[in-house]
Amino acid sequence: MSSYLLSRFIQTIVTLFVMSLLVFVGLYLVGNPVDVLLSSSATPAERLEVIQAFGLDRPVWEQYFVFLAKALTGDLGNSFVFNQPALDLILQRMPATLELAFVALMMALILGIPLGIYAGLKPNSAVSKSIMTFSILGFSLPTFWIGLIMIMVFSVQLGWLPASGRGQTVDLFGVPVSFLTWDGLSHLLLPAFNLALFKISLVIRLTRAGVMEVMQLDFVRFARAKGMPESRILRVHVLKNTLIPLITVIGLELGSLIAFAVVTETIFAWPGMGKLIIDSIAVLDRPVVLAYLMITVIMFSVINLVVDILYSVVDPRVRLEGGSR
Amino acid sequence: MTRPILLIDDLNTAFKVGGEWRNVIRDVSFEIAERETVAVVGESGSGKSVTAMSIMRLLGPNARSTGRIEFEGQDLLSLPMEAMQTIRGNRIGMIFQEPMTSLNPVLKIGNQITEVLMQHRGMDQAAARAEAVRLLDRVRIPSAEARLNEYPLSFSGGMRQRVVIAIALACEPKLLIADEPTTALDVTIQAQILELIKTLQQEEGMSVLFITHDMGVVAEISDRTVVMYRGDIVEADTTKRIFRDAAHPYTRALLSAVPQLGSMAGEPRPLRFPIVDMRTGEAQPVKQTADTVRAEEAPILQVEHLVTRFPVRKGLLQRTVGNIHAVEDVSFEVRKGETLSLVGESGCGKSTTGRSIIRLTELTSGSVSISGRDVASASKSELADIRRDAQMIFQDPFESLNPRMRVGDAIAEPMITHGLVKRSDAQQRVGALLEQVGLSQAMADRFPHEFSGGQRQRVCIARALALDPKLIVADESVSALDVSIKAQVINLMLDLQEQLGLGYLFISHDMAVVERISHRVAVMYLGEIVEIGPRQAVFENPQHPYTRKLMSAVPIADPTRRRARTISTDEIRSPYHDAGYAPAARQYQEISAGHFVQMQAVEKAA
Repeated sequence: MSSYLLSRFIQTIVTLFVMSLLVFVGLYLVGNPVDVLLSSSATPAERLEVIQAFGLDRPVWEQYFVFLAKALTGDLGNSFVFNQPALDLILQRMPATLELAFVALMMALILGIPLGIYAGLKPNSAVSKSIMTFSILGFSLPTFWIGLIMIMVFSVQLGWLPASGRGQTVDLFGVPVSFLTWDGLSHLLLPAFNLALFKISLVIRLTRAGVMEVMQLDFVRFARAKGMPESRILRVHVLKNTLIPLITVIGLELGSLIAFAVVTETIFAWPGMGKLIIDSIAVLDRPVVLAYLMITVIMFSVINLVVDILYSVVDPRVRLEGGSR
Repeated sequence: MTRPILLIDDLNTAFKVGGEWRNVIRDVSFEIAERETVAVVGESGSGKSVTAMSIMRLLGPNARSTGRIEFEGQDLLSLPMEAMQTIRGNRIGMIFQEPMTSLNPVLKIGNQITEVLMQHRGMDQAAARAEAVRLLDRVRIPSAEARLNEYPLSFSGGMRQRVVIAIALACEPKLLIADEPTTALDVTIQAQILELIKTLQQEEGMSVLFITHDMGVVAEISDRTVVMYRGDIVEADTTKRIFRDAAHPYTRALLSAVPQLGSMAGEPRPLRFPIVDMRTGEAQPVKQTADTVRAEEAPILQVEHLVTRFPVRKGLLQRTVGNIHAVEDVSFEVRKGETLSLVGESGCGKSTTGRSIIRLTELTSGSVSISGRDVASASKSELADIRRDAQMIFQDPFESLNPRMRVGDAIAEPMITHGLVKRSDAQQRVGALLEQVGLSQAMADRFPHEFSGGQRQRVCIARALALDPKLIVADESVSALDVSIKAQVINLMLDLQEQLGLGYLFISHDMAVVERISHRVAVMYLGEIVEIGPRQAVFENPQHPYTRKLMSAVPIADPTRRRARTISTDEIRSPYHDAGYAPAARQYQEISAGHFVQMQAVEKAA
């Protein structure tokens, strides 16, 4: 186990390194942030001063090594725009995004798994067919469009839920969260559902496929031959086997929920990381982009690790081995 | 006579196929008395498993059964599902064919046993656990208590089947339905399980319904036998009478196709199976095989000190911590027109040997030469050339043909890639090959799914013959076939050997088939050849204890020759050794001309 964790840790470090190199070179090639940041009326002297302050006058490899050396001490640089540490900027916005993503994930699981099980057990019933049609819609309709329609229906016409912002927050262990107040919750509902829609469809389809497959297996037939009631067969024999493939996918999807909540955050003006990163890319604010991507990589790695550990807990056939992956 | 435990009367089961009900079994009637064992025997598609599943009502909504199934005076077909659940696993226990998949892989063995006890016998967790230990003890699983907390993956196939039996017998049922319970097991393990079922039946006083395709198993275990063919019962009688003078032509055809161990005593050469016409029951006379072995010519295959090991790697640096010694110091040769059989149980390295010979698996050391050319050192292009002389036929004809390729193209492909024929001439050659294996030219345009299993295996043989090979490596090539089809394919292989002078390396676990087809036999155990020699010598005068054990485990298709065995729990050992392990050099002793036996190595004290 410890050698397994160690090898995973090394993998993450290597990924971080390669990613930072790619982003650094990529952003360098795209253009000069000074051109975007300074107004056209700036004097050459001012311009030179800014370039020197950002260290942009040095060759790119040297800039990269400066960045690396600082990164090792935990300093990912100051934002060109806000002149604050990039890490702080992101960490300020992170709770909002995390909350949105987790609530969306919960919705996906709470709605997706039961619907998927039903559709898997009775694949030919009318209800199952409606569930599957809904899941196709969830897959194929673009998020931004559904978001806008939801705002039109629930906020503008019915006036049930607010259209934008995060609402009132309270601190839970020092982290601001909105799901504990009624106002916050009402602000959370629409964007979370919007974000969850695609995942609900995915969970439905995966669960349905899993249930249908497991129901055909010999051990389910054997469980019937043992005289087990259907409810116990479903609860004990089918569900656990169905969850196994689901765990992997959900883990990856949680990462993508957090990292790519951009569209939903933009539509609902949700003050999360997504909005920040879009703005930062637009002005080539390299430290923020880099810091954001590094946090994303770390997050993905941690989630994947948790998934793998969970996997080995659920499935005794999986043993965590160092290296061989 | 007392009332039968189970009485089946006019049972019809139909499946819904494309909106239509299609009968799968018709008017099946038989009964099982108390303490009696009844075998239902038949080939695939005979409806024997459907009969068993109909009794348990396990067929699902796409099936419909009519008739009467009376169990302990109750009609099972008219019972509501809840009442049926109190009978399943409680009054009637059932075992399935595949022990590897009958148990839930993510649930501990203990829980899978206790759930039955808690469900049917109302025990609490603690009582059920205690009872589970007792049950595992009864099916002779060593250190039962500790094993309750293990998952199925740490049990071998034979051990899993014991667990399945323990579950089936947990509530002391009056009837045990065993659906091909030993088919997926090795022959020594099969013998253990059969013995276990027999013993438990006597201890419990229960009746057994035994579903099987294996006439040997039938003869071994059953009091009465029901023969099914394509959904109908063709004959039902006491097992002794069925075997002595079967009335129905199909039964006779089936019995004549069953290879019987020991039936070849005194025969110097391989022998074709007598083929009995299924309608008339007339047997065709068996054509004697010619002497095909060219002993004076140089051998077409020569294997010397072949070793194939698979490294097991672990840890961060992927160091090799040990090796699976799949093939260890194996030497033999095959001559033109000769069949050498490699026989042994699963994991003994027989298939790896076959694959190593044509380098489908890389060999670790040793030398292999085919028609005098060295395989081990051959370059890629040389290897392709050598493989023209040595072709392979695999076990599963369903998987070894590309489902989206017409069989004619599949047969022509190797000839065209090797540049043997022009594309335009290929068709003619394919037609000739198809006729050679007993199919017709017109079949070249069909796809594999349009053929039956036996026909598909013929296609595979035709494909192997396309390159005019001198040697064919047949890896369990007839194991997946029904017994009558198996007999036909073996006859075909013997015909081809006569016509073409082929050498066969016949890899099989089936002792009786091996006895029928081989000139020489090599018995493998744990990667090594323990005994090799002329077939007659090995079968009539087996020397190595493992050879003897293997032979005594084979069920004999003759109810008058039943053997009493003791139940052992020996498992097939693993050929894994830690890195750096050097196997002891083996000495062979020559018993008679060409008959070598591995000397009993004294195990080194560690």
